[in-house]
Amino acid sequence: MTQDAIRQRERRVGWWLITPALLVLLLVFAYPIGRAFWLSLFEQNLGTELTAEFNGLGNYARLFGDGRFWRSLWNTSVFTLVSIVLELVLGMAIALVLDKSFRGRGLVRTAALIPWALPTAVMGLAWAWIFNDQFGVVNDILGRIGLISEPITWLGDPFRAMLALIIADVWKTTPFIAIILLAGLQSISSDLYEAHSIDGANPVQSFFQITLPLLAPQILIALLFRFAQAFGIFDLVQVMTGGGPAGATEVVSIYIYATVRRYLDFGYGAALVVVTFLLLIIAVAIVGYLLSKTRINVTGER
Amino acid sequence: MNIRKLTGNLSKRFSKLQKIQRFFIFLLASLAITFLWVVPAFTQQPVTISVMIQTLEGTQWQPIVQGFNESHDNIRLEIIKGPNDTNLVEDLYTSAFLLGDAPYDLAYMDIVWVPKFAAAGWLQPIDEYIETSEVDLSEYLNGDINGGTYNGSLYRMPFRSDGGMLYYRTDLLQQGGYEPPETFTELMQISQDLQDQGIADWGYVWQGKQYEGMSAMFVEILEGHGAYWIDPETREVGLDRPEAIAAAEFLYQTIQDGISPPGVTTYAEEETRRLFQNTDTVFLRNWPYVYPLAQDSEISGQFAIKPMVHEPQDSSGACQGGWGLGMVATTSHPDEAWEVIQYFNQPDVQRQFFLETGYVPARKSLFNDPELVAQYSYYPDLLNVVENSALRPPIAQYAQASDILQRYLSAVITGEMTPEAAMTAAARETRSVLGS
Repeated sequence: MTQDAIRQRERRVGWWLITPALLVLLLVFAYPIGRAFWLSLFEQNLGTELTAEFNGLGNYARLFGDGRFWRSLWNTSVFTLVSIVLELVLGMAIALVLDKSFRGRGLVRTAALIPWALPTAVMGLAWAWIFNDQFGVVNDILGRIGLISEPITWLGDPFRAMLALIIADVWKTTPFIAIILLAGLQSISSDLYEAHSIDGANPVQSFFQITLPLLAPQILIALLFRFAQAFGIFDLVQVMTGGGPAGATEVVSIYIYATVRRYLDFGYGAALVVVTFLLLIIAVAIVGYLLSKTRINVTGER
Repeated sequence: MNIRKLTGNLSKRFSKLQKIQRFFIFLLASLAITFLWVVPAFTQQPVTISVMIQTLEGTQWQPIVQGFNESHDNIRLEIIKGPNDTNLVEDLYTSAFLLGDAPYDLAYMDIVWVPKFAAAGWLQPIDEYIETSEVDLSEYLNGDINGGTYNGSLYRMPFRSDGGMLYYRTDLLQQGGYEPPETFTELMQISQDLQDQGIADWGYVWQGKQYEGMSAMFVEILEGHGAYWIDPETREVGLDRPEAIAAAEFLYQTIQDGISPPGVTTYAEEETRRLFQNTDTVFLRNWPYVYPLAQDSEISGQFAIKPMVHEPQDSSGACQGGWGLGMVATTSHPDEAWEVIQYFNQPDVQRQFFLETGYVPARKSLFNDPELVAQYSYYPDLLNVVENSALRPPIAQYAQASDILQRYLSAVITGEMTPEAAMTAAARETRSVLGS
């Protein structure tokens, strides 16, 4: 038997082995996506008495002129970008602290994970009360310090409501990033730092020349996870603001939920899902491409 | 010993038995078969009628369910307990109906679900049953019947009612020497004066969060200004008319003048209730559920209720809420389902339920029922409030229309848009949803 024949046979066996996995993927990913796209070509709502009527790209034309959708997309992007950047910076700081050994580190490490472990809906309710203008803790503290004389309505102003949401989200998900980064930090050998300091490098230089480049894979993973999660945020917003005030915190998932479940506008809801999905894929692809480039530059590898 | 041997032995013994003994065994066997198998197959199994309701209320229904099941051998009423959050219950009903083959025969519905469910074809009208059973609908509050009607057919039998109203602090008004207000202007003046004198912390609190409760609250302000949201007959949108703009302007003004705390733009029912109970706030717009709770708080005995204020030339209306039973279109036992509804219609059953729960009845006579009044002295006042009700537009696309209104009204009270610009935009968007 020739080398080629063996390789061919191995390849065939390989295909057989991954067939079940491929089938499962087709079933749980490709089918729903295809179905959503198919549904988005129909008008199916209370106006048509819930029967599907083909209307081609009509839903997409309507979506193009739907200010509420673009507004919600903008809100989602702002929320996602700001919260992820803050979470990354804070998460890095926490991870660096937890990486040093000190008394009670195990306790602190566990305690740091608590926000991540609590149910979002419950914490959303707690944050709504924390930001309450009359009885809220935030106003109470700010008032006692003397920073404000009149209570601030946090959730009643478009800008501040978004800020409050971001603070709540950062509080909740920073531990997640911190733990992932911490795992990465602990896999970096201390030899590298020793050698670097012998060469005369200070800790700041070490951080930028050793820690950051070697941590790039973990940062990338944490970012991707958080990006997908933050872009699909629902429970926190639903509980804290319900999309208000004046629609300023309405994110895409809330709008889609309302369209499908409350307005029973299925065709249009499917079109919203498809467009959001495509935009998300494109965004992830661009970010992934940029990150992969910077990683090569930093490490100087090919 | 194997099976074959055993059966062989038995048949051998059986043939050895005497004729008369054999006869008795046959007799016993056939009797057993008749009683254990044939009789149950021919007599009717009880039909199960199921309905999903919020867990809390489901527990409160227990005595009624028990009473029904004890008095009906052929029907078994089954309660499926859903979440306490009514939005989630609506979602569960929606999913069940969408997927087809709903496990429910009856639907326990909030008044605003009726047009949507009816338009989607998920309910069947109950007019014929009403006629054959000679139910007198005039015994119920008008608003409850109208809210259960879609395209001229009744889809929901009212059980309990609800309506928005004005709570006011009697002690604070007395200190300032005021009578309860009748008009919007009076409400503003009294609030301003009591706040200036330092008697009150806040004048008036209401629900300004962007959510369904805001629409309910605004319906009352519209009614008091002689304005309308959507005419259910002509499907005309009235939000950009001068009266409706004035209604939005009023809400904006309460915050501007410091009568309402700036935070009302984030408050739902509970936040406003807590503020009313824990601070010196003169007026509160809320639902009847607040009454017993406030009676248990520090302001016990120092508050009263009245219908919402209005413009001098117009009259007030309480936003109609409430719950009732409708018949699911796909039920295979409509007659039995109707029997359940009929059982809930009985004044005695209702009296017992409202005595125990303190909810608001939909049946008019119960408000002045001696037993109920003995326990809930405010029921006669309540009738005064809920008799003049204002409906949220009973149209299929209500949820959509309500969201539009909420967003623009929220923009008004947070100062993002002027009342005129916001109401004009809201009217335009609503028209495009209604296709008119």
